Amino acid sequence: MFKKFAFTAILVAVTILGSACGGAKEKLYLYNWTYYIPEDVIKDFSKESGIQVIVDAYSSNEEMYNKLVAGGSGYDIVVPSGDYVSIMIAEGLLAPMDLAKIPNFKNIDPVALARIGFDKGNKNSVPFMMGAAGISVNTTRASGYERSWSIFEKPELKGRMTMLDDMREVLGGALKYLGYSVNDTDPAHLEEARQVVERWKPNLVKFDAEAFARGFAGGEFWVVQGYAENVFLEYEEARHAEIDFFFPTEGMPMYMDSFCILKGAKNVDAAYAFINFMLRPDIAARVSDYLMLPSPNVPARAFMTVAPNYEFEDLEKGEFKEDLGLEGLKLYNDVWRRIRVGN
Amino acid sequence: MKRGPGGLYATPAIVWLTVFFIAPLFIIVLYSFLRPGLRGGVEWSLTFDAYRAIANPTFAKVTLNTIVVALGATLVTLLIALPCGYYMARSKNQTLLLLLVIIPFWTNFLIRIYAWIAILGNEGFLNDMLQALGLTNDSIRFLYNRWAVALVLVYTYLPYAILPLFSTIDKFDFSLLEAARDLGASKFGAIRRVLMPNIKGGVLTAFLFTFIPIFGAYAVPLLVGGTESYMLGNLIADELTKSRNWPLASAISLVITLVTTIGVMLLVRANGANVLGGGKEASEAKAEQSAPLLNASLVALPHSGGGAS
Repeated sequence: MFKKFAFTAILVAVTILGSACGGAKEKLYLYNWTYYIPEDVIKDFSKESGIQVIVDAYSSNEEMYNKLVAGGSGYDIVVPSGDYVSIMIAEGLLAPMDLAKIPNFKNIDPVALARIGFDKGNKNSVPFMMGAAGISVNTTRASGYERSWSIFEKPELKGRMTMLDDMREVLGGALKYLGYSVNDTDPAHLEEARQVVERWKPNLVKFDAEAFARGFAGGEFWVVQGYAENVFLEYEEARHAEIDFFFPTEGMPMYMDSFCILKGAKNVDAAYAFINFMLRPDIAARVSDYLMLPSPNVPARAFMTVAPNYEFEDLEKGEFKEDLGLEGLKLYNDVWRRIRVGN
Repeated sequence: MKRGPGGLYATPAIVWLTVFFIAPLFIIVLYSFLRPGLRGGVEWSLTFDAYRAIANPTFAKVTLNTIVVALGATLVTLLIALPCGYYMARSKNQTLLLLLVIIPFWTNFLIRIYAWIAILGNEGFLNDMLQALGLTNDSIRFLYNRWAVALVLVYTYLPYAILPLFSTIDKFDFSLLEAARDLGASKFGAIRRVLMPNIKGGVLTAFLFTFIPIFGAYAVPLLVGGTESYMLGNLIADELTKSRNWPLASAISLVITLVTTIGVMLLVRANGANVLGGGKEASEAKAEQSAPLLNASLVALPHSGGGAS
């Protein structure tokens, strides 16, 4: 309640301040992941279109979602991952997407589009970036392993491995290891997955989504589950060859972050202009170069100047995380709580 | 009873406590009896699900783990703080020493935790030194276990223990110690039987100042702990932000509030009874002791409930 009030107060203050000094200039309120779009790309958009972009950042889907549900409005564009796109569609938070206003939509890889289950036909979302958490191994410390989830069972690596503090990633990995879908909500399968994670857990130092990359770079951890961009960014560049980053052969959970326009957005035309701009090959290439990630934008691949940390084809064995539904979410929460709490 | 404008003077404090402590506490209590909202928040229907979930043995494990870590860290903190406070009280450079105790607060709490990571890390200061001295060949992993959590907690809350101990010991009349020695007490006996009973209030305040925040610790176990150092504070944060079960988070934070409140009350009662039995001098001392104690309970309670906010 208080949160809602405080948020509204801040928003009102921002709006008043904004309108006081902004003049007639068109505006766009973007709520985006931290460090997701380089600043100069946004500047170039403003220069070309004359639209001023006001950026706010979040570091997890939960944070973004909680803020919006707590009454945060005033944003035009958000960039949720697939599972949250479907949650937000179900909650009626998203405006319909008129693809005719985004000519550059044609640039997106049809292979990627075909695999989307969270918003079939892109009625409410437009794909931006896709990727997956993988496993990074410090090859100066560990050898003779298979590129499989089974690496977490190796006793000789006990006390040197971490997994993400993220139930979808960890349970998704265990489910894939067992040959199930990362979106499986069968309680029996989840129980099997729990037992797998319980087997891994004694070998893990911790579940960590914040500082694992630093620990990996410092030699503390030898095997970490996590996002390539975090790992390579922290690791000394001259020694990048020491890292073996791979996606387990059994497959892994995968994400697709998509542009969505919020219901009630005030600057819809500016939003379409921005999304179309971001899908332009040269711009998409700049974002991919910055993140060192493969691009789902086909013509953009020719514009890229930096070798990505993995190839688009590597993602083939991945599976998009979809919304689990309320019952499924509850089941996952219970299983994850048991794993985290019990020792 | 004297009638005067006292009640009026208390208004700001009452308003403050109502708005920032009692009202939030009421919301927490209320939420803990509601059904979790489908995607966060709460639904307005009465249920005891959250408390049923707490009764689960796995929760008892986390609570026990939290109590063990908090008690251990608090006792170690007191053991270090007592001689420090004693030395400061007897020193001629009190101002300088007080300043030294306060200096760590000039640096942000999180930065100090990261500094510990830099010290204890694999390529950290400690490991570098051990290897330079030829004591080890490969680095030892000091971080990410319960010991690291306890160490950083002791470090963080040591000033909170030293300050009340110092202020109590400072008021102690040291000629009493000399008298005890004259009457044949050993040095240790004099400290144990004359000094300790007189500074009991300070010890109690120091205990509460350290135990209560440690009991609700969140950042330290998150950053330097491992899989086994999951504490109640982390559980609350996860339920609130990840599982989005606000009623459960509320119920757990109420458990923390209850444990600390009951602890405070028991300690106050034990201390009070003791003081009353101690004769005239002791009852004078009581007046002094009850002041910091009251402060302790007022300051400490919102702190523990704050885990959920």
